[in-house]
Amino acid sequence: MNLSFRSQSSLYSRVTLLPVDLNLNNYRLAFENEFFIKSLINTLIVCFSSTLIALLFSLMAAYSLTILKYKGRDTLGRIIVIAFLTPGAILFIPMAVIAANIHLSNTLRGLILVYLSFLVPLGTYLLIGFFKSIPLELEEAARIDGANRLQALFFIILPLVAPGLISVAIITFTGAYNELLYSLVINTNPDVRTLPVTIVWLTNSEESPWGLMMACSAMAALPVMLLYFAGQRFVVEGLQTGSVKG
Amino acid sequence: MILPTILVLLFFFLYPLIFEIYTSFTNKTLSNDPKFVGFQNYILLLQNPEFITAVKNSIVYVSVVQIGKFTLGLGVAILLNQKLRARGLWRGLVLVPYAIPGFVAFLIWRLLYHTEVGALNIILQGIGLIDSPISFLGERDWAMPAVIVSTIWRGFPFWAIMFLAALQAVPAELYEAAAVDGANAWHRFRNISLPGIRPVILIVFMLSTINTINSFEAIWLQTGGGPSDATVILPIFAYRSLGNFQLGEASAAALSLVPISIVFSILILRKLRKD
Repeated sequence: MNLSFRSQSSLYSRVTLLPVDLNLNNYRLAFENEFFIKSLINTLIVCFSSTLIALLFSLMAAYSLTILKYKGRDTLGRIIVIAFLTPGAILFIPMAVIAANIHLSNTLRGLILVYLSFLVPLGTYLLIGFFKSIPLELEEAARIDGANRLQALFFIILPLVAPGLISVAIITFTGAYNELLYSLVINTNPDVRTLPVTIVWLTNSEESPWGLMMACSAMAALPVMLLYFAGQRFVVEGLQTGSVKG
Repeated sequence: MILPTILVLLFFFLYPLIFEIYTSFTNKTLSNDPKFVGFQNYILLLQNPEFITAVKNSIVYVSVVQIGKFTLGLGVAILLNQKLRARGLWRGLVLVPYAIPGFVAFLIWRLLYHTEVGALNIILQGIGLIDSPISFLGERDWAMPAVIVSTIWRGFPFWAIMFLAALQAVPAELYEAAAVDGANAWHRFRNISLPGIRPVILIVFMLSTINTINSFEAIWLQTGGGPSDATVILPIFAYRSLGNFQLGEASAAALSLVPISIVFSILILRKLRKD
């Protein structure tokens, strides 16, 4: 990290552990780097859209899988856990081909759709844990009082699972923000690159400007790290609900 | 209610999976008309020395990383479970490697390992342990240990936080009773703490193993699988095959990750159902 404050020349002339001429030049350069800004915007668009959609879908799915009763419910629940446990490393090849076939490669829309493939199972899986902890009678009471399913979900259940929803929002947003493999194989055009891909691309470019790169990395890391520490309580709770209580 | 999720699963989980299985039995490239070739891709894979290396590397990488995460995670959890000053602060610090985005974390490690400007070389030379800089990520003997260390660093907080929560859930009376009976610290750990957190250890181990077997970015960002094939694990191998546009072979390679993932998934499902 401390390299991000150093100039290119001092980086190579005298190699020391602590910065000699502290400056913010690299940060200024990062903000002037059109690739950096562009991909930051791309990343934010993709992350906000996919997180919002994933939250809505998972909320409905978790409601359905814990409160409604129908045939095949448990099987569906199991399929969702399997989807949650299936990593991108297995699916990235067909995903890239399919995205290309339906003309979604090199679009942000395509990336949002593909991200749903892991965000929705993740969100549903985590939310089921939170749904199981709320008393079912409340929902039944609301329905007897004449609320329909959607009203019951949004006015009775939602406030109760709000903390869970916050943890799931943080975890899914971070998941989308950090995703590298899908983004790498689906979007190859610099205009639609996300932040991770751009930073990797900067690293592998000829001059390898470590100072600039670290400045970009520091700024890229900042939003999710702030999110993590501001919501530390929720994150930890979410992780524990997800993997321990199931 | 569940319809949108079913659609997502259908189009972006089942369909790609079936498509991939189908492709692995064809000679599909980017442009040709795929022809059915039976098990040829799988046979080719087994005859490919780089694939065999990838399997071996994966086994080494995953086993050492998991042992490391377990040891470090449990150690840190036990430390954090003591009555420390500013425990909240320490717990926050432990989360740092996990909170840094992976793509940033592994680039920082790549820089730490750097031959000329890397902090590790500067420190080792400074205290006189080595005479000339070591190219940690560029030499066959060093690359695997180097990526293993960074992967452990990035992954242990998840284990530590889980173990800590489990340790805190162990009733304090048990410890008090044991102390009255004269049990020493090791006995209390062995007979109370460890059994208490056993279920958590199992599930964290399984979740983390699936993730580690399939981890792409840790190695790809640091060595890209190199030098030559020294750190190629299966996901990197599949990615490299995709680069050659031999989709059939690449699919077969990616699918070779499925059996082990399925075994662990079934174990997790069983565990969840029991709870």
